[in-house]
Amino acid sequence: MTLLPQFLLDALLLGGLYCLMAVGLALCFGVTRIINFAHGEMIMFGAYGAFLLSVHFGIDPLLSLPLVALGVALIGFLVFKLCVQRVLDAPHVNQILLLFGVGLILQNIAVLIFTGDERSVTTAYSLASDQFFGMMVAYGRLIAFAVSIGLTVGLIVWLRISEMGRAIQAVAQQRDAAKLMGINVTAMYMVSFMVSAALGSATGAAMSFLLTITPFMGFHILIKGFAIVVLGGLGSVGGTLIAAFVLAFVETGVSYYVPEGGGWAEGVALAVLLMVLILRPRGFLGQAVDN
Amino acid sequence: MPFAATAVVNDWIISAASMVILAVSWNLAANAGLISLGHSAFWGVGTYTAVLSANKLGLPLVLALIPAMLIGALLGVLLAVITGRLRGIFFAISTLALSEGLRVIAVMTPGFTGGGEGIYVNPQLRIGAHWVAAIMVVGALISILVAWAISRTSWHFAFRAMRANESAAQMLGVRPIGFRVWVLALAGAMAAFAGGVRVWYGGFVDPGIAFDLHITIFAQIGPLLGGIYTLAGPVIGALLSVLLSEAARIWFGTQGFGLLVYGVALVLCILFLPHGIWGGLQRLWTFGRRRIRGEQ
Repeated sequence: MTLLPQFLLDALLLGGLYCLMAVGLALCFGVTRIINFAHGEMIMFGAYGAFLLSVHFGIDPLLSLPLVALGVALIGFLVFKLCVQRVLDAPHVNQILLLFGVGLILQNIAVLIFTGDERSVTTAYSLASDQFFGMMVAYGRLIAFAVSIGLTVGLIVWLRISEMGRAIQAVAQQRDAAKLMGINVTAMYMVSFMVSAALGSATGAAMSFLLTITPFMGFHILIKGFAIVVLGGLGSVGGTLIAAFVLAFVETGVSYYVPEGGGWAEGVALAVLLMVLILRPRGFLGQAVDN
Repeated sequence: MPFAATAVVNDWIISAASMVILAVSWNLAANAGLISLGHSAFWGVGTYTAVLSANKLGLPLVLALIPAMLIGALLGVLLAVITGRLRGIFFAISTLALSEGLRVIAVMTPGFTGGGEGIYVNPQLRIGAHWVAAIMVVGALISILVAWAISRTSWHFAFRAMRANESAAQMLGVRPIGFRVWVLALAGAMAAFAGGVRVWYGGFVDPGIAFDLHITIFAQIGPLLGGIYTLAGPVIGALLSVLLSEAARIWFGTQGFGLLVYGVALVLCILFLPHGIWGGLQRLWTFGRRRIRGEQ
């Protein structure tokens, strides 16, 4: 049982990252009702952005994060204007397959630009760690956790307090009523798509010194994001945050306590996803969604 | 014909015929409103069943395909039963999770599947590429025939009602779960067949190859390019997509371009040609006839 404190700490730190990873996906779905299958690619571009700035200009991933987020928000803007805006009222089939295709394009652009080689960012803190009360605390993970929680709280505050945040919430609740109140619905869609992309890239930048970076990393992260968002309930930010920690605890628990758990942990998200879809598709706090 | 040319031709035939099978299978499920993002699950299960039953029981390819198709169909039935009433996005995501989950299982059970190192087909059981090509073509023809037969029965109308609105279809006396089970069993068996035959060409399988996301992409590109929900569309689209990727490979030569071309084709089709090439032609034809007859 001496593993217990270490397990709790690791799960908590992972949960913070998962929050940031899923909250962007949840925001995009909650407002536009479109699942962004290209969200994993936004994360991947964020990671590459942090990598390039760190290698070529020596900028720390934490400092380059705002810059990277801005850049990827721009990609989000282009994707929205060129593609998503045209299918807002199209059948779900078209939306799903369109964003799947967009993800495919972004992924292969990354293959062409960055090649399939694995990269990683090394910083002073990425490998440093210390002992506290018998627990190993990796500074890289601690910093990523702090950044993630900071950004997630920032998003929630922005949604609650600012004029635009509240307009976005209004659109999420009732699109037609929001329109009648004089809110530009399409503009709010665009803003939330861009913010979602920016949050995705921030996740990538925060992960850049923890994970290996490849053009294909987005897909596996995306599936975990889906598991969290579905578990929390599509469209509910609060549910998403709870679900992020639940998944982190279950995953870490499996890798700590199950023999060969490191490999099986990868499947936890998928098992959770399937089980929730079968038993309670609404998740923890979500509303029922037709179709 | 020189030997090198036949090898290339065999390669083309095998990939074209497997693309046709995948496209027909995917379109069959899509017809009933079931958008699959996990066709690699069926393909991979077919691959593994064929290889394992051949290696462990000594079955030749043609016989190994029978268990492969059965297990593929069983997976389809299982998917239909566990996803119950899930629709649209939810169904799509659960197929995605199914395929990834199977990949993790294949990696984590090395005693049975060979794990991450993969397994080879018993070399004594391997057959010439031209035989593999022939079997794949026969499979493609049969799957087209099955899709055609279904389009001639009342199932066709039941599917159309289901994809428009499953609850309303139920009101009309269509029992969605029954149709789901059948359609996914058929689609699963087809994709598993293609996977089972394909592995005889390469002779090797590992979890990454079997449950490759690319299979899922290959399965949907044909119907979308050619015309989703039509009979000829998926076939035309599948053949065209092989042509596209070959052309991209020859012109650009680097890894990534083939899939980039698929991505661009996918996006352009959904945005500007939502009924695909065949669907678009059909619409043009009806429109033209009406104009000639002086109808509106």
